[in-house]
Amino acid sequence: MSDAGLILDVRDLKVRAGERLILDGLSLAVRAGEVHAIMGPNGSGKSTLTGVLAGRPGLDVVSGTATYLGRDLLAMPPEERAREGLFLAFQYPVEIPGVNNVYLLKAALNAQRRHRGLPELDAFEFLGLVKAKLAAMRMDEGLLNRGVNEGFSGGEKKRNEILQMSLLEPTLALLDETDSGLDIDALKVVADGVNALRSPARAMVLVTHYQRLLDHVVPDHVHVLAGGRIVRSGGRELALELERRGYDWLRAGNAAA
Amino acid sequence: MNAASPIDRIAEAGRHLPPARVPEWSRRRDRALAVLAAHGLPDRRDENWKYLDHARIAEYPFGTEPRASADLAALEARLLPVPGAVRVVLMDGRLDPGLGTATALAGLEVVDLGELIVREPETALALLRTPGEDVDDRYALLAEALSAGGVVIRVAGGRDIGAPVQLVHVATAAEPSVHQARVVVQAGAGARLTLVEQFVALGTAATLGNLAADVALGEGAELTHLRLHQHGPAAAQVETWSVRQAARSRYAQHLLALGGRLLRSNLRLALEGRAAACRLDGLFLADGERQVDLLTQVAHHGECTVTAQDYRGIAGGRGRGALNGRITVHGTARGADASQSSRNLLLTPLAEINARPQLEIHVDDVQCRHGATIGTLDAAQLFYLVSRGIDPAAARAMLTYAFCQDLLGRLPLEPVRAAARSLVAAALPDRELIEGSA
Repeated sequence: MSDAGLILDVRDLKVRAGERLILDGLSLAVRAGEVHAIMGPNGSGKSTLTGVLAGRPGLDVVSGTATYLGRDLLAMPPEERAREGLFLAFQYPVEIPGVNNVYLLKAALNAQRRHRGLPELDAFEFLGLVKAKLAAMRMDEGLLNRGVNEGFSGGEKKRNEILQMSLLEPTLALLDETDSGLDIDALKVVADGVNALRSPARAMVLVTHYQRLLDHVVPDHVHVLAGGRIVRSGGRELALELERRGYDWLRAGNAAA
Repeated sequence: MNAASPIDRIAEAGRHLPPARVPEWSRRRDRALAVLAAHGLPDRRDENWKYLDHARIAEYPFGTEPRASADLAALEARLLPVPGAVRVVLMDGRLDPGLGTATALAGLEVVDLGELIVREPETALALLRTPGEDVDDRYALLAEALSAGGVVIRVAGGRDIGAPVQLVHVATAAEPSVHQARVVVQAGAGARLTLVEQFVALGTAATLGNLAADVALGEGAELTHLRLHQHGPAAAQVETWSVRQAARSRYAQHLLALGGRLLRSNLRLALEGRAAACRLDGLFLADGERQVDLLTQVAHHGECTVTAQDYRGIAGGRGRGALNGRITVHGTARGADASQSSRNLLLTPLAEINARPQLEIHVDDVQCRHGATIGTLDAAQLFYLVSRGIDPAAARAMLTYAFCQDLLGRLPLEPVRAAARSLVAAALPDRELIEGSA
């Protein structure tokens, strides 16, 4: 099999959080242009997967590999992963009072540009860019000058994640339950933002508990995560089947999968 | 540096004081010297002084007279920009008219305490509080014994002089020395004043300034008081502030302790009249080998009196910080509202902060809240920033600066606020990483 277009290649990954083994031999290959959905019940290891790929502290890799654009992802510090084009949209974006939202956006974008040998954007150029993105996300400009996520509603926080994503234009976007806690209007705005970023050069991994996000962002591949490994993979129809039959169906049918 | 103890040197200096012009002054000085000789300076056995490095204070040559020698041309660049301010400069504890603003404003009186003591000793003595015998007032007693100068700033009742007063304390000596100063600030009934006070050390000598200051606010008077400490790395400051507030007066203090080898600040504030209110904001940075030790004692006497105290401390390197904050609500203070918050950030394993909030309530029907936290930077916030490609050191600097933001946002006067923001950013570790941060 050719490795052309392979963005992420996770093989037999085992990850522990404290004493508990959360990922137990997970493998996943993601190619340029693809959108993967990873579904699974609570506690199946979905957030651990995105966390370990983004470099969240407190997770210990026991064995296995994760290769990103041909490089050992797990050996890279988290800030380097980001500058190399990996982006994690958090399930629970943290509030950072006192750090201006627009300042964070500019610092993040310029950190990436420096890393790539590009000139930094000045304040004027940056503001022009961010305002255009903001309009696309239907976000209030006032949110730019607030503390990062400070006092944002659940929907505003998630939109802010997508705003950051659209600004940083990642090669690999990991969206951790970005749909949770969103009303239908916010869900559509977020989905539009995600769809706008779909491109042949980019890959996305959507982690979700429910399939309703997948009504708006249609995935190329659907995987079911249970017990720390992918127990079944399929196309779009797998998500619909899960929605209909619940995760218990899969637990029962695990052996047959 | 000195074989003799501070108290021996203080007694020696007391013997060589110029003769007092009036018996009352002579009596007060003798009494102050006698209490100091009998009880000494505070030490770590004293409850409110146990975190202070007394040995460090004892290194300064008590009893010496500073000889000014610093290049005053360097002063201007160090001063906060306070547009239209009346400038008052104390050089090594003495008023320097040459450096201050000569223009007089209606309703504002700026009097040289040193001259007043010579010219009208009775008047001067009446203005100066007699420090108590209790150990927390001991350094004020030292100023009572040895100080020969200072300044009186008075705003007449009902006046808003329409310009801030910029009070600058400059330590100029090129040789190690200790200087004393007294400051009196009085605002008559209904008067309004913004006082921007700044402590600057020019030169690198080991100088210690000891300040005793008395503030009195008449009924309905309002005083906004910014205090910026940015001494040099060898300079130390000990100060004792006494604030008395009449009915409906408002006092807002914004303390920024950003420099110096040691700062010990005592604030004793009495809310005497009904509905008198104070806001006490404080931000200190104790990095390197620095030490910042703050004692605040607020007493609610009047009904419906209000305290809102918000202190933030940051310690890095081997720095040490302490906040002893006591609020006492007396039996007469029904309907009082007191809140005290002390939040502290430790940046390094060897840094130390001791926070002791204390509430003492002697009456029902009051609203009182207090809380103290000491912690490190939030790991989830750090990861969030780093996951966006931001360098970990820059992320730490951003979060440390963020910790100061709401206090900085409450500073008075826009140009002062902007300058103070830059000073705070410049004083924090990894300063270069947060330049341009807004």
